[in-house]
Amino acid sequence: MQKDFVKFENVYKRYKMGEVTITAADGVNFSIDEGEFAVVVGLSGAGKTTVLNILGGIDSCDEGRILVGGKDISHLGKRDLASYRRYDIGFVFQFYNLVPNLTAKENVELATQICRESLDAEMVLDSVGLSERKNNFPSQLSGGEQQRVSIARALAKKPKLLLCDEPTGALDYNTGKSILKLLQNKCREDGMTVVLITHNSAITPMANRVISMRSGKVVSNVVNPSPKPVEEIEW
Amino acid sequence: MTPESCFSTFYQFSVTGYVSLHREKRKGKKQGALRKNTLREILRTKSRFIAIFAIIGISVGFFSGLKSSAPSMLATALQYFDDTKLMDINVISTIGFSEEDIEELHELSYVEQVMPAYFADLIVTKDNVDTVARVYSIPETTKTNHSVLNQPVLKEGRFPKGEGECVIEKYFLGMSGYHLGDTIEFNKAVEGKDTLSCIRHLSYKIVGVVDSPLYLTYLRGNTIIGDGTIAFYMMIPPEEFAFERYTMVYLRTEASHEAFNDLTQAYKDKVNDEKEQLEAFSQKCIERFNTTTLAEAQKELADARKEYEEKKAETLQKLKDGAKELQDGVQQYYEKTGEGRQQLEDGEKELQDGREKLAKGQAEYKKGMEEARQQLTDAQKQYDDGLAQYNAGKLEYDTRIDAAEKQLAAAQNEFNLQYQVFYTSTKPQAETKLSLLKLTIDLYSRGIITAEERLAKLKKEPFSERVQEEIRQLEEELAETRQKTAEYQKQYDDGMKQLADGEAQIKAAQQQLADAQLQLQTQKAEGAAKLSEAKNKLDQAEGQLTAGRTKYEAAMSEGMMELQEAQAKLLEGEAKLAAGQAELKEQTLQGQLAMKEGREKLANGRYEAHVQLGEAEEALHDAQQKIDSLANAKWMIYDRNDNPGYTGLEEDADRVDSIAQVFPVFFLLIAALVCFTTMARMVEERRTETGTLKALGYSNFSIAAKYLIYGGTAALAGSIAGAVAGEATLPFIIVSTYGIMYSLPPTILSIEWSSLILASVSGIMCICIVSFMAVYKDLKLAPAVLMRPKAPKPGKRILLEYITPVWKHLRFTSKVTARNLFRYKARFFMTVVGVAGCTAMMVAALGLRDSITSIADLQFRQLTKYDQVYALSKAGTTDQKAYLMSQFHADDRFENSLLAYMDWASIEKDKNGRNMQVRILFGDNREQFEQMFVLRDRTSHADVPLTDDGLVLTERVGEVLKLSVGDTVVLTLENERYSCKVTGFTENYAGSTGYMTPAYYEKITGKSPKYALVFTRTAEAHKSEEKEMANDLMKNEDIITVTSITDQVDTMMDMVKSLDFIVFVMIFCAGMLAVVVLYNLTNINIAERVREIATIKVLGFYSLETANFIYRESIVLTVIGGLCGLGLGNIFANFIVEAIQMDNVMFPKIISFWSYVIGFVLTIVFSLLVNFIMYFKMNRISMVESLKSIE
Repeated sequence: MQKDFVKFENVYKRYKMGEVTITAADGVNFSIDEGEFAVVVGLSGAGKTTVLNILGGIDSCDEGRILVGGKDISHLGKRDLASYRRYDIGFVFQFYNLVPNLTAKENVELATQICRESLDAEMVLDSVGLSERKNNFPSQLSGGEQQRVSIARALAKKPKLLLCDEPTGALDYNTGKSILKLLQNKCREDGMTVVLITHNSAITPMANRVISMRSGKVVSNVVNPSPKPVEEIEW
Repeated sequence: MTPESCFSTFYQFSVTGYVSLHREKRKGKKQGALRKNTLREILRTKSRFIAIFAIIGISVGFFSGLKSSAPSMLATALQYFDDTKLMDINVISTIGFSEEDIEELHELSYVEQVMPAYFADLIVTKDNVDTVARVYSIPETTKTNHSVLNQPVLKEGRFPKGEGECVIEKYFLGMSGYHLGDTIEFNKAVEGKDTLSCIRHLSYKIVGVVDSPLYLTYLRGNTIIGDGTIAFYMMIPPEEFAFERYTMVYLRTEASHEAFNDLTQAYKDKVNDEKEQLEAFSQKCIERFNTTTLAEAQKELADARKEYEEKKAETLQKLKDGAKELQDGVQQYYEKTGEGRQQLEDGEKELQDGREKLAKGQAEYKKGMEEARQQLTDAQKQYDDGLAQYNAGKLEYDTRIDAAEKQLAAAQNEFNLQYQVFYTSTKPQAETKLSLLKLTIDLYSRGIITAEERLAKLKKEPFSERVQEEIRQLEEELAETRQKTAEYQKQYDDGMKQLADGEAQIKAAQQQLADAQLQLQTQKAEGAAKLSEAKNKLDQAEGQLTAGRTKYEAAMSEGMMELQEAQAKLLEGEAKLAAGQAELKEQTLQGQLAMKEGREKLANGRYEAHVQLGEAEEALHDAQQKIDSLANAKWMIYDRNDNPGYTGLEEDADRVDSIAQVFPVFFLLIAALVCFTTMARMVEERRTETGTLKALGYSNFSIAAKYLIYGGTAALAGSIAGAVAGEATLPFIIVSTYGIMYSLPPTILSIEWSSLILASVSGIMCICIVSFMAVYKDLKLAPAVLMRPKAPKPGKRILLEYITPVWKHLRFTSKVTARNLFRYKARFFMTVVGVAGCTAMMVAALGLRDSITSIADLQFRQLTKYDQVYALSKAGTTDQKAYLMSQFHADDRFENSLLAYMDWASIEKDKNGRNMQVRILFGDNREQFEQMFVLRDRTSHADVPLTDDGLVLTERVGEVLKLSVGDTVVLTLENERYSCKVTGFTENYAGSTGYMTPAYYEKITGKSPKYALVFTRTAEAHKSEEKEMANDLMKNEDIITVTSITDQVDTMMDMVKSLDFIVFVMIFCAGMLAVVVLYNLTNINIAERVREIATIKVLGFYSLETANFIYRESIVLTVIGGLCGLGLGNIFANFIVEAIQMDNVMFPKIISFWSYVIGFVLTIVFSLLVNFIMYFKMNRISMVESLKSIE
C-alpha cells in the first residue's frame, strides 16, 4: 500500500463573487494512504467539497500541488483532467446524478463504455445488490437504490480513487447506513481508496483516517488505527 | 453568470423579495419588486431574450418589408407619373385633329389639360437592319391653351435647338449601338409612304437622351409596319413634322385629381366614364370633318375625275389617227421596194449563170492542163530513166573494160617476168645443173666400167683374201656408184622434164595471154556498139520531149487567155449588180427609217398618253382612297393601361405581394412555435419561483405578468427593430431590382402600416398568448407542488426497444439518442417543423429560380424551335413570297423555314370578362409548322391536334380567361370580331399565342391570309453566322426586319431576373430563421440537460464526446426536418409559382434535383453552424456548479 497516495500541499482555491473573494481552500495540506477509507468532515462551507472537487479533477486550484499516486494533477489541462477523471476517479454524488433517460444498467454502461478496463455492468450491479432492478429507470428506483447505481457506476470504471460527496445526505438513516456499509466493504474487500466527505462527524469512527476542516483549512488529520464496522455506529 | 450565483441570487431575491414585498405592500407599490424581477430576468437570460427578439424581428421585418415593397413600387411610379404629368387619356384619330377640335376638347368639362401632338412610325436603317422607330413630337407649349404632358426626363445631353436634331430614349441607346451625337437615318419610304410626308428630314442628330413616362418598361408596343414591333421611340420638335393636322391628343382629366390613387378602381371607373364621353364627343368632330374637309375633297375629286375622263377620250382619238397614218406609209414603202428587189434578183440570176460557166471553163481548162502536164511529166520521167540507165550501163561498161585491161596488163607483166626468169636464170641454171649431172653420170658410168673390169679381172685372179676383200670392196663401191648414178640419172631426167614443163607452161601462158587479149578486144567492141545504140535512142527521146513541152506551153497560155477574158466579163456583171443592190438598200433603209420614226413617234405618244393617264388615274385613286379612309374616320381612345408595360407594373407589384403573403405568415407561425418552447422552458425553470410567489400571495395575474412582460418586451423590441430594418431595406432592394426593368426615379418608401401593425401585433400577441399558456399550467398547481422541484421527466421505454432485433443492433449511444428523441416529443416536433419550414422555404426559393431559368430552355428549345424571324413587306404578292421562300429553302444555312401569318388579336370569353392580347399564328406549310411549333399537353406531352375547326390556345390564356376545350371565344383580329371555338390548349411558357390552320382562318374571316413572316431555324453548323445570314437576307428589299430568338431570350431573362433577387432574399431570410430556430431549440435542449451534461463530463467524457452526446439528437432532428422540408418545399414552390404567374408568362413547376440538394445541405450547414456556436456554450458548463444541488 502506497503511503501518501493522495497528497495536498498548500492548496488554495478562491472564488470571486462580484466584489467579494471567498477563499474556499486556504492552504490545505493533508495526505491519504492507498487503501484507506478517509472521511473529510466539517461544517457547511468549510471547504470540504472544494477539496473533493479539486481532488476529483472537476475543479482546479489556484495555488499548491495535489499529488495522486505520485502524479501532480494541479496543472493538468482540460483534456488531461478529463482523462484523469475517466481513468482514475469514481465519483458518487449526494444527488446521485443518474441520467434519467437511461436504465440502471445503461447508466453504468455510460461510464464503462469510455474506459479501457472496466468491469461488467451487470456484475457490478450484482455486487451492489441491484441484480433485480438493473433494467429500471432511475425514476422507478428508491433513493438508496439510485445511490447504489451511482456507486456501481463509479466502481465499474475501476478507479484508483472513489470520491463520495455526502452520499447519504439525501437518504434516510437505514438506507444511508447500508450505503456506507457498501462503501466500507468495497474499501476493505477490494482495497479501494475511498475519500468521503460529510458534515456528520458521527460516522468518523468507521474511517481509517479522519480529516477535519474548518474555514478552508485542515484542522486535524487523524489516523484511526481501529475503524469500527458501520453496523456498530449510531447517529 | 454561473448557475451557483443564479441560485444564490435567486435565493437572495426570494428573501429580499419577501421582505420588500411586505414593505412595498405597505407602500402600495407591490409591483416594484416584480418589475425589478422581470428586468433582472431579462438581463440574466440575455440569450433567450435575444432569441425571441430576433425571431420576432426577422418575421416582422420580413413581412412588413416585403409588404411595403409593392406599395413603394407603386408610390414611386405614381409620383413619377404625377411629376411628369402623365396623360390620363390619349386619343389617336385616323383623320388627325384640327385646331378647332383641340379648342373644343379643351372646353369639355372633365378635360383639364390638352396637349396635341404628332407621332409617326418610321423605319430606321442601321447596319443594313431596319427597325421601326416611333417618332413623337417633344411636348412643349406651342399655343397658350396647350399644356405640356408626359414631360420627358432628360437624362443626358439637351433638347433639340435647331433643325434635324432629336432626342432618343435611354433604354434603346444603351443597347442599339447608337451614341449621343450619332445620326439616325430614316428610310425614304415606309411601306410605300414617303417618309418626308411625315417628317421634314431623313436624318436626325441625337442631341439628348430621355425617359418618357409613357414607357415604363422595355416594352415598346406594336405597330402596323415592319415586323409589327416598335424597337424604340425618339422625339423631335413638333415643327419637324410635316403633317397638317395633329395626329394625337393627350388629355389630363378630372380623374387625375385622384392622382395618387390612380391604380384604384375609382380612377379606372372615372377614366372609363370619361372615355365613353369622349367617344360620343368624337362623333361631333368627325361629323364636322366629314361635312367640311371631306365633302370639299370629294367634290374636288369628282371634278378632277370628270376632267380626266375628257382628256382621256381626246388623247385616245389622237393616238388612233396617228396609227392610221403610219399604216399607210408602211404600205407604200413595201410596194416600192418590191419592184427594185425583183430586178436585182434577175440580174443576180444571170450573173450566177455566168459565174457557173466560168467556173466550169476554169475547171475544164484546169483539168486539160493537168492531163497535159501529167503526160509531159511522164515522158520526161521516161527519158530521165533511160538516160540514167544509159549512164549506169556506160559506167558499168567502162569499169569492166578498165578492170579487164588492168587484169590483162597485170597478167602480161607477170608472164613477162616469168618468161624472163625462166629463160634468163632458171633454164640456164637447170641446163648447167643437168650438164653437170651428165658429166657426173658419165664419170660414174666410166667408173662402173673400170670397176667391172677390175672386178672381172680380180675374179679371174685366184682367189685370195685380198682379192676377196678387194672384190667385196669393189662390189660395194660398185653398188654404191650404181645407185648414185641411178639417182643422178633420175635427177637429171626430172630436171629435163621440169625444164620441158616450164617451157611448156611458158608457152601455154603466152597462149592464154594472147587469148585474153583477143577476148578483151572483142568485148570492147561489142560494149561500144551497144552504148552507141542506146545513146542514139536517148537523143531521139529528148527531141520528142522538147517538142511536147513546147506544145503544152502554147496550149496553156491560150486557155488562160480565154478564161481571163470570161472572168473580166463576169466581174463587170457583178459590179453592176452590186450597184443595183446598194441602190435598193439605200432606198429600203430610208423607207425603214421613216417607218421606225413613225412608229416610235406613235409609241411615244401612246406611252406618254398612258403614263399621263395612269398618273392621273392613280392620283385620282389615291385621292379616292384617302377620302375613303377619311370617310370612316374613327377616334381611338386609350388610357394609361394601354401604355406598354403599364399594367405590368401593377402585376409585378401584385406578384411581390403574393410572395409577401405566403412566407412571412409561415415565418410568424414558426416564430410562435419556437417562442412557445422558449417560454415554456422559462416557466419551467422558474417553477419554484412561481410557487414561492404564489405562496407569498401574489395573484396569478401578477405572476403571469412577468412572463407576459418578458415575452411582450422581447416581441415589441423585435417588432420595432425588425420593422425598421425591414422597411429600410427590403422595399428599396426589391423596387430597385425591379428598376432594372422599369425606368423609374429613386424609390419612395410607402409603408403599409396595416401590415406592419398586423405583423407586430400578431407577433406580440403570439408571444403573450404563448407565454400565458406556458405559465397557466403552473398557476393552477398548489404552491407546495410548485416549490418542490419538478421531477425530471422519467425515462421511458420507447417503441423501438420492443423491436428487439433492431434495438439490439443499435450502438449504446444510438440507443441513448433514440430514447432522448422520443422523450422530448414537443421539442422533437418543434425542431422538425422549424427545420422543415426553413428547408422548405429554401427549396421553394431555389425551385422558383429553377422554374424561372428553365423557361428559356423549355420555350425556345422544346416548344418553339425557331431561331430567327424575318418580317416581310406586307405588300408583296404571293408569287414574290413564293420566290422569297424558295431562296430561304435553297439556303442550306437554314435547316428549316416557314412562311407564316402572325397578327395580334384581342381575345375574350364574354363581353364583360377579361380580355387578353394574343398573337394569332399559323404557317402556310403544315409539315414545317409542326417542326417549328410543338403543340403538346404539358403533363402528358401528348400532341394537341390542330384542326380546321378551331383554335389552339396557349395554356396560360386558358387559365387566365378560365376557358376549357369546346368554349367559344371572341377574337378581335384585324379590327373585326370573330367567334372562334377553342379546340385545345398547348404547353407554353412565354407569350400568349393562338394557333390555327390557314383553312380555319379563311373560314372565320373569309379572307385569304397575308403571310408576312418567315420563321427560320438555323442549321447547327451555321449557328454562329446568324448575324451575317440576317445581313445577307436584309439585302432583299422584301425583308424588312430580322429578330433573333437570342434577343427574345435575353429580353425574357431580363424580365424574370428581377425575381432572382427575391429568391435570394427568401433564401437569406429562411437561413436566418433556420439559424435562430435551431439556436433556440438547441439552447433549450442544453439548458434542460445541463445536469446530464455535467454528469457525463464528470464521468470523464471529453469535450467532443460530450458535444456529440447532444449533437447526435440535433443532427437527427435536422435531417428529419430537412427531409420533411423537401416535400413541403415542393408544395411551397408550386404555391408561389401559382401566385406569381403573369398573364403572358407561365412558370413551369420544376424543381431541379440540385435545388433539393442545396436546400438540404444549406439546412445541414446552418445546423452545424448552430452546433458549432453551441459547442463553446457546452464547454463552459461548469461541473461544480451544475452538480451542486437540484434546483
